[in-house]
Amino acid sequence: MATPGLSADATPEHPELRRRAPIGLRLFAGAIGLAVLLPLVYLLIRAGETGHRFWDIAGRDETLHVLWNSAVLTLLVTASSTVIGVVLAWLTVRTDLPGRTTWAVITCLPLVLPSYVGAFALIGAFSSNGLLAPLFALFGLDRPPRLYGLPGAWLTLTLFSYPYVMLTVRSGLRSLDPALADAARSLGHPPWRIARDITWPHLKPSVQAGSLLVALYTLSDFGAVSMLQFNSFTRAIFVYYRTSFDRSAPAVLALMLVALTLLILWIESRTRGSAKLYRAGVGAPRPAPRVPLRLWRFPALLACTVITLLGLVLPLAVIAFWLLQGWTAGEPLWRGWSMVVHSVQAGLWAAGITVAAALPVAWLAVRFPGRTARLTEKAAYAGHALPSIMIALSLVFWAARYAPALYQSFALLIFAYACRFLPEALGSVRAALGTVSPRLEEAGRNLGRGPWSVLASITLPLLRPGLLTGFALVFLTTMKELPLTLLLAPTGFDTLATRIWSATEDALYAQAAAPALVLVAVSGIFVGVILNQEEQDDVYE
Amino acid sequence: MSGSAIQARCLCKRFGSVRAACGVHLDVAPSTFLALLGASGCGKTTVLRMLAGFVRPDGGSISIGGQTVVDDTTWTPPEKRRIGMVFQEYALFPHMSVADNIGYGIRPDQDRARRVAEMLDLVGLQTQRDRHPHELSGGQQQRVALARALAPEPAAILLDEPFSNLDAALRVRVRSDVRDILRHTGVTAIFVTHDQEEALSLADQVAVMMNGRIVQTGPPHEVYRAPADRAVAAFIGDANFLAGTAEGRKVHCELGELIAEQDHHGPVEVMFRPEDLLIIPFGEHRTATVTDLQFFGHDQLIHLRLPSGATLRSRLLGAPGAYQRGQQVSVRVNNPAVIFPS
Amino acid sequence: MKRAASRPWLPALLAVAGLSVFAAIGMKADDGRLVVYCGRGEELIRPLIERFEQETGIDVSIRYAGTSELAATLMEEGANSPADVFFAQDAGALGALHRHNALTPLPADLLERVPARFRSPDGTWVGVSGRARVLVYNPERIAETDLPPTLDALTDPSWKGRIGWAPENASFQSFVTALRIQRGDAATLAWLKGIQANKPRPFAKNSAIVAAVAAGEIDAGLVNHYYLYGARRTNPDISARNHYFPEPGAGSLVNVAGVGILKTSRHRAEAERFIRYLLDHRAQTYFANETAEYPLIAEVSLPADLKPLETIATPDLDLNRLEDLEGTLSLIRQAGIF
Repeated sequence: MATPGLSADATPEHPELRRRAPIGLRLFAGAIGLAVLLPLVYLLIRAGETGHRFWDIAGRDETLHVLWNSAVLTLLVTASSTVIGVVLAWLTVRTDLPGRTTWAVITCLPLVLPSYVGAFALIGAFSSNGLLAPLFALFGLDRPPRLYGLPGAWLTLTLFSYPYVMLTVRSGLRSLDPALADAARSLGHPPWRIARDITWPHLKPSVQAGSLLVALYTLSDFGAVSMLQFNSFTRAIFVYYRTSFDRSAPAVLALMLVALTLLILWIESRTRGSAKLYRAGVGAPRPAPRVPLRLWRFPALLACTVITLLGLVLPLAVIAFWLLQGWTAGEPLWRGWSMVVHSVQAGLWAAGITVAAALPVAWLAVRFPGRTARLTEKAAYAGHALPSIMIALSLVFWAARYAPALYQSFALLIFAYACRFLPEALGSVRAALGTVSPRLEEAGRNLGRGPWSVLASITLPLLRPGLLTGFALVFLTTMKELPLTLLLAPTGFDTLATRIWSATEDALYAQAAAPALVLVAVSGIFVGVILNQEEQDDVYE
Repeated sequence: MSGSAIQARCLCKRFGSVRAACGVHLDVAPSTFLALLGASGCGKTTVLRMLAGFVRPDGGSISIGGQTVVDDTTWTPPEKRRIGMVFQEYALFPHMSVADNIGYGIRPDQDRARRVAEMLDLVGLQTQRDRHPHELSGGQQQRVALARALAPEPAAILLDEPFSNLDAALRVRVRSDVRDILRHTGVTAIFVTHDQEEALSLADQVAVMMNGRIVQTGPPHEVYRAPADRAVAAFIGDANFLAGTAEGRKVHCELGELIAEQDHHGPVEVMFRPEDLLIIPFGEHRTATVTDLQFFGHDQLIHLRLPSGATLRSRLLGAPGAYQRGQQVSVRVNNPAVIFPS
Repeated sequence: MKRAASRPWLPALLAVAGLSVFAAIGMKADDGRLVVYCGRGEELIRPLIERFEQETGIDVSIRYAGTSELAATLMEEGANSPADVFFAQDAGALGALHRHNALTPLPADLLERVPARFRSPDGTWVGVSGRARVLVYNPERIAETDLPPTLDALTDPSWKGRIGWAPENASFQSFVTALRIQRGDAATLAWLKGIQANKPRPFAKNSAIVAAVAAGEIDAGLVNHYYLYGARRTNPDISARNHYFPEPGAGSLVNVAGVGILKTSRHRAEAERFIRYLLDHRAQTYFANETAEYPLIAEVSLPADLKPLETIATPDLDLNRLEDLEGTLSLIRQAGIF
């Protein structure tokens, strides 16, 4: 077998890669790009109303101060989430870690906890009479360290957002061709050089996709920072809404957030590189052998356990404690299954539609890199760091004015989720598509199958890891999404997340407990099914 | 020319400022195995991809089996062209078994199982039918790719650098296997290669492509013996060039008077192949100096320098004499030389 | 191949999704219903709504979300708002909608049920229940005699690190606005800076302040009076008490949760009926008993441990004047709070 190289299409033999995309694809992707631009246009309209106050609002010392705070937090959370996510992904995909699949499901569940619930639980656990107090007493501390401020926000957001990296890197690792590493090893390179020269360049797109989501999520989060009393940019935006009922000043701040996002995207695209990463060599990748951990499995299991304890068990224990309290007090704890049905319904639809919308955008970006592709992709990400409330208000603005028949309908709700979560699907679909050689599609066409038939029988099956990851990410984050659901759902469409919110809002924690536990359980079942599908892809025979 | 299985007229394609193909004409008779030979970047793959329908020409027309698939008003997508293709990297579907790969293009109204079995038989992979591509050797993958392309009974098949991914030992065997299979099925085939030896040894017809144009088409021996111009001569096989003056079929050059293939008057460039340059160790005019020797076993290549500084190469079968560097010898051209007006 | 057999769940999933969309499309609010945007807690309001529907036969569609989010939504919806009634957590949101010209005047008989200081002078909204500012404290850490007699006492360095507050909270903002009206901007800024110098712990929620006081994390916090009663539901022996500042002024401001009818309402009669219902004796008693908020109509009895509204040293000021939140925010910023 010849040594597969990195790229076939860098040679002038295939200059047609620079050809223009089919008009249908461009129109479709363009329409999606326009849809995701709606919130930004709304922000421009509102921010424009501030007139000469614009620069006053944007240039205030406090504004710049919180912008700095947010930048620092984002940097820290992204770095730590990336490390944890990559390590967990590697452990659960490429090693013989005992109970890999179970760990994979468990360790991505923190993503489904609304950040304010997670933060609240962690605050409880770290308080002087909280769950962790005895543990710290063992180390001679009379009380756990204070969780508030930057350290608390850092810890909490890391624990609840590393699954973004883990899930995307998992799919990246699955589509990584082990022959590359074998070839490098046969050339006498030590493992660290293989990791640096071979594995890393191929894994980089998925690591970046995941880290980008973490960074944007950190910027957009309000729940955790407000609970943990960290003065972030998003908090400043909320202060405007909460206190002055002013919609223009927050729009100015939001535009700054968009600018910051574009800066992050620019940095990301600088480092993304242009190498085509699909196999140029012969044949098909074979599944990778698993790395035997041997004695290393004990520290590996310990790491998984610690992460799970902090990110999942601790919040669940606190929630279970609320449940117990409510039970003994005889409170009504459960309000029927309709909210479960609604949550799952919204989650599945949002995930399906979002992945379907991400596909043409990713296709354009990977197969026909050009201006349309770049703009569409940037547009999809640009609004992702905005707090959900702004997306919600912008869609209220557009729908109530220009599509009143759709306003507060299920269809609009799904549209809103898709606008919000498109980048989550886009990142993993894009990374997966980058590893599927266009020659395979051409081979299919050449054998007499039309483009749709080729899509269904060749491309989609090969994209499965990426599609499943995108589906799982959108599903999980839709399950916990709040402002969009509250403002745009059909009246009476209560979900687990809205129920948890309304109960905690009234400080009725016992009543939030059962829905929160069900939220985690239901998400766990669905993610289990999804990851199990992935696992079966490995078994070719 | 309704007799052609594949016909291309005036095909043009630009990519930005790069002219990949320009005025390409091609006529491939049924059951012919044609090699499209050219250096890397000459546009041969673009022509192949235009034939397959992956690249839309800027101008010109293509017809396959007498039916126009592309001209100014017609466009037939790849899946409707009934053209099989074997990709350089094979492009086997990694998620499908060998049998599923081969069966992929067979139309639903055909007996798929029977056809797959036939194809497996043809390429000798009956025992591998349920394997996945990654479990096969390079040569086996190549044969699966060929069987997959042949399975839908295409009007013609195209092979893009089909042997470049194989190591040298395997390549020779796979080449002849592939040619036998194609002969057996009688299918019209075009393959793209940059390897002139491969083109000459396998093909019935060779089309030489340079800078986006097809400069010569003909049987291998004709292309070799009578190259259309100096560039073709230099590209195909090894060639010696000397300046000279032609007078009718006689041509004068540093080696004296030679017989030319064609009539011409005036200054020319004289070309003759190394195997036509004989060395006479103890001849009268020992004007050539041996500068280097390469011994290959079945033959050897001797590098010579003339007093004017011109260098020549001579290919001698076997090891008729042991030459040494610096040795003075006399040389003679055996067959009529080819002349190119300069 | 195993693949086809490995996803028997897929058709089932698609079927569920397909069926559910029909169910969901049918859920769009129909025209015959009274649409209420409600910034108050669902747990509190739901029984009231159910009883209202039973008694009147009027169907209510109710959307729960944060008061400020709903106010912003109503402004964005503009002329196409499906909402009839806005039930807000605080007067500020109603005032903002009034300024936005989104509310329509209420009938006089409804307005007159409530004292003038708890409703809009233009008659576009009316208070439903009252909420007083207090200092919640932990009696195990502060003796009753050591309680601060005035707001200004809290700026004493002895309170360093002991106080909690929720400066993002609308009720806190209203309180600061009241302080500005009472004392002027300079004195208010001085007070804010004085407190800030004591490094108070900022919280996102009032309920979290009460919990932190009870847990001994802080000694006292500036909150609304009823959070204590909410906390007592799950923990009757909670180690926290309310302190009403004896000094008359903003420290004991009584703000209201209130309702208004939107100009876009297509169900005016039903909307007025709903407000009338909220202002009747039973609903007011319900608020008093369930949330320990102050009923605003006459002759409703209070829970035994609630300090009567008349005895609170509340400042004599018009709630509509609590609108200048931009100025308040600017002061809070100047004090370096955010």
